[in-house]
Amino acid sequence: MIVAHGGLAEGFLSALTRVAGPQENLWPLSNEALSGEALTARLGELLDARARGREVFLFTDLDAGSCGLAGRRLLADDRVRAVFFGINLPLLIEFVFRQAEPLDKLVPLMITKSRAALGVRP
Amino acid sequence: MTVVLFRVDERLIHGQVVVGWGRLLEAESLVVVSDELAGSASEQEIYRTGLPSGLEADFWTEAMAAARLPEVMESDARILVLTPDLGTMWRLAVAGVPIHEVNVGGLHAASGRESVLPYVYLDPDDRQRVRDFEAAGVRVTAQDVPGGVRVRLERVL
Repeated sequence: MIVAHGGLAEGFLSALTRVAGPQENLWPLSNEALSGEALTARLGELLDARARGREVFLFTDLDAGSCGLAGRRLLADDRVRAVFFGINLPLLIEFVFRQAEPLDKLVPLMITKSRAALGVRP
Repeated sequence: MTVVLFRVDERLIHGQVVVGWGRLLEAESLVVVSDELAGSASEQEIYRTGLPSGLEADFWTEAMAAARLPEVMESDARILVLTPDLGTMWRLAVAGVPIHEVNVGGLHAASGRESVLPYVYLDPDDRQRVRDFEAAGVRVTAQDVPGGVRVRLERVL
């Protein structure tokens, strides 16, 4: 699940679709106009409808935001396997192409690729 | 301690508060006034985990806040006081906390509430609290983020 402020989650999915093709395993959600309680409930509904026994990762923008908070609640309840925050497109690309790999190998790879993709020129 | 903002926001600690208001007002500490959260170490941990370095959060009961805020407001630290609803903020004022203005952030759609702004939904008790504050000389304005339109809530009830 990608949950983020404004239209960012849909935007990430749109960008991913452009560079890596359709993504049936990524579900976007905005926190727009939702209280913290309503956001957590909406995420729970999404999990009920689509997880079907599979492990779920939650990707979000701000750790300190309501999306990150909802993620930590789901993590505490063992409803998601991990919460990634401060995400960027390279991190999601790595997830898309390596999601079948074991978590202990996948997570460091995603973080490394995400950080390596950040820079400035000249 | 300088209270840089008294804010009513049912999400409490979230992006608009930490990134928007917190950065602009250079807040060093968030004081959440909630009897429920003050009694839950696990909930406090969930809120604190995502905070950026340099920003702390305390969770006080209403009684603690009423007793401590007038005193600690004399120190130099910059704090932002958060309550989940207008009723809690009103009770702080009644208890003697010197609140001169209330900022209202997100109060979202719920049963019994009606929209007055896209991010502010109020029930009859909330409306009365706004009138109570204004009658006591405390301005109540809605503004979700810095730079957003500031609306005097009394005028849109």
